[in-house]
Amino acid sequence: MTTGLAAPPPPVSAPDASSSAVTTAYVPAPVIGDGTTAGSRARRRWRAVRWPLAVLLLVAIVAGLAALSRPAVSSTPLAPDNPGPYGARALAQVLGDQGVEVAYVTTTADAVSRALAGTTLLVTSDLDLLPEQIDALLETEADLVLVEPGYDLLEGATGGTATLADDWSSPDATRAPECSDPDAVAAGAIRSTGFGLTATGPGSLVCFPGDDSPPDTGAYLVHEGERRVVALDDGTLLTNASITEDGNAALALRSLGRHETLTWFVPSLTDATISEDVGAGTGTLPPWVSVVLVQLLVVAFFAALWRGRRLGRLVTEDLPVVVRASETTRGRGRLYRRSRSRGHAAAGLRAHSADRMAARLGLPRSAAAPALIDAIVRATHRPAEQVAHLLYGPPPADDAALLELARHLDQLESEVFHP
Amino acid sequence: MALTWRAVALAALGVVAVLVVPSYGTVLVWALVVALLCALDVTLAASPRRVAVERRVPGSVRLTGRATSQLVVTNLTGRRLRAVVRDAWAPSAGPQVNRHPVDLPPGESARLTTVLVPTRRGDRLADKVTIRAAGPLGLAARQVSLDVPGRLRVLPEFASRRHLPSRLARLREMDGRAAVQVRGEGTEFDSLREYVIGDDVRSIDWRASARRADMVVRTWRPERDRRVLIVLDTSRTSAARIGDEPRLDASIEAALLLSALAGRAGDRVELFAYDRGVRARVAGAAGPRLMPALADALAPIEPALLETDWPGLVGSVHQRLSQRALVVLLTTLDPAAVETGLLPVVGQLTSKHQVVVASVADPEVAALRAARDSSADVYDAAAAARVELERTAVRTVLSQKGVEVVEGLPEELAPRLADTYLALKAAGRL
Repeated sequence: MTTGLAAPPPPVSAPDASSSAVTTAYVPAPVIGDGTTAGSRARRRWRAVRWPLAVLLLVAIVAGLAALSRPAVSSTPLAPDNPGPYGARALAQVLGDQGVEVAYVTTTADAVSRALAGTTLLVTSDLDLLPEQIDALLETEADLVLVEPGYDLLEGATGGTATLADDWSSPDATRAPECSDPDAVAAGAIRSTGFGLTATGPGSLVCFPGDDSPPDTGAYLVHEGERRVVALDDGTLLTNASITEDGNAALALRSLGRHETLTWFVPSLTDATISEDVGAGTGTLPPWVSVVLVQLLVVAFFAALWRGRRLGRLVTEDLPVVVRASETTRGRGRLYRRSRSRGHAAAGLRAHSADRMAARLGLPRSAAAPALIDAIVRATHRPAEQVAHLLYGPPPADDAALLELARHLDQLESEVFHP
Repeated sequence: MALTWRAVALAALGVVAVLVVPSYGTVLVWALVVALLCALDVTLAASPRRVAVERRVPGSVRLTGRATSQLVVTNLTGRRLRAVVRDAWAPSAGPQVNRHPVDLPPGESARLTTVLVPTRRGDRLADKVTIRAAGPLGLAARQVSLDVPGRLRVLPEFASRRHLPSRLARLREMDGRAAVQVRGEGTEFDSLREYVIGDDVRSIDWRASARRADMVVRTWRPERDRRVLIVLDTSRTSAARIGDEPRLDASIEAALLLSALAGRAGDRVELFAYDRGVRARVAGAAGPRLMPALADALAPIEPALLETDWPGLVGSVHQRLSQRALVVLLTTLDPAAVETGLLPVVGQLTSKHQVVVASVADPEVAALRAARDSSADVYDAAAAARVELERTAVRTVLSQKGVEVVEGLPEELAPRLADTYLALKAAGRL
């Protein structure tokens, strides 16, 4: 009766249910829609956006009311929309009430395009103008009123018959016209803090000289040639603060109101244009470029909509713990290193080596040091002092010595394990 | 509502129109035309909310195996459905290609198959199914994301099953049933058979031989129907990563190999996972039902960031076992955890049962101990040497209390535990 030749059992099959994918654990009813209707979705979206929308609307309304309640004003000196003490809105409004059409421009191109024959062009200070811009202004046919002009503008406008003076007359003294110009005579008296204007040739007439001014020098200059050019050496005459003093108002209104149309040009540093045809910046590009750029912006908008909508949300993964089990060991090593405890580190290495070699040489873990040293000396034929020094010597003095010790221990172990 | 690339291309065509008529009005008109066409396309598109979606998922798949998630999409609208369907799964479920183009006439269905190659054990859940139905012009689309539940249970890989045939062969040798004529070891009387040359003369049964003409020897076999109780520690120490997976996964591999072996050896295998309570339990399953039950119970176990309640664990063991058994604790030999947890209570177990403590060793600690490149490495090596010394001390203390200690790298633990089991069985210590 033998039982020794029984057939081997069939191999154990692994826990595997995927070999045939017929076991369908989940066959629920079909899902149709997400339970929302167009109405419920609209309500949900409305609830989501209504408060942000309300806040935006409120801000827009407040901003709009604030913008509408105040006319546009500026703080540019001598600008017709500046109501401050250095502005000239009072003068501009009076001119407007008297039927003069005041056009406020800030670029040379605009000024040149508006300054036709039979109109007045006011240029307040040419400090910010380029030589090319001054030339462009001089080529216009409009009557010029120059306030505090520079050399180039004044001499160019008067055909070289006038220039700037260096007049240090008393600024508080009232000056009489002392000339035949009807505007000056009508004004009667003004005060000036300017340096004065000097006529150097025929055609130019100077009025309002100071008490001790050089000959042919005054605060007001008229040049009658192809067109009438009026120059004032002091812009404060026109400001809101002092327009009502002395004969300032009469002089300003008469000078500027000579024609139906007044172009009020306040030059600025940011303006580099010369005329409408030849401007800096966009002038060198074909006119359709900006339109194409806008169209490309539209394309970018559609592309953003195309790429912006995900095909369903991102799926999250609940990750397992990522901390490695060896982290505690590494932390311990760093503690040894930071506290420079070479003695501890060396003791650990020595104890571990001794433990392994004792096990290899058949000694119990509790074996005494001399017994272990004897066994190692017999296995490796090394001097006993050397082995004793390696395993039970003093702690290493520095990191290099510790590294040396570790390598010597490795060598000793390898000799014990592979004699 | 979603746009397609065609809408962008149509908007880009506007550049030509703008070049022909360069004015801002052209830009505005073209943008309005594109927007109107998109709106028209959306209104003409089939409603994705009138599409029936049904999911079929296999109940379970082994880790690294392939499974297929099937979606049956039925067009219930009166319009043609041109859509892209995305079958979203968590990344660890390993969906390969999960975006499917669909073109369905009204009333027809399509079956969309997403291949899943899971990369992590456990229950992997399906996310939403997104349908983006484009209009007849293909400029814009309507989109909806639907909750279509699906769950794929990813069973443990059981890579250690490759060690099973060799261990089964050794089991058969011990059993005396192998083809080679080796008399069985063990203490349990099996049968009488005729003497053949080579048998140990000490096993001759003289009384039986006297009754018949032939010499008869007694054969023995290992004990059968012993109880093996495997306890998986799922506390915080099982969460730490060793190599590329948590310590728990290596423990599960070892538990599966041991169960397969003990099940074949005729022992009754029980298992429970414990941290501060029983997380999973397999009891009473035997024969072909054992391994599927184990795999199914172990698949969803995740480490809990808790301290193990060792007295409670011992209480549960006593509750389960009335007679002597082999108790295998799959836990850690971390000195601090063992000293405060296992050591005070292990005596209660060893007094009644044969206890084996199995723990996964960390290959990184061994690598740290061997590093000698710089002085910083030597400090790490010293720390690793200390750790190993402490583990050796823990092993010694446990051995003195009568516990068999098994330690191995993640891929070595399972065969070592199986070998320990075979050695205990051969020695009749079960």
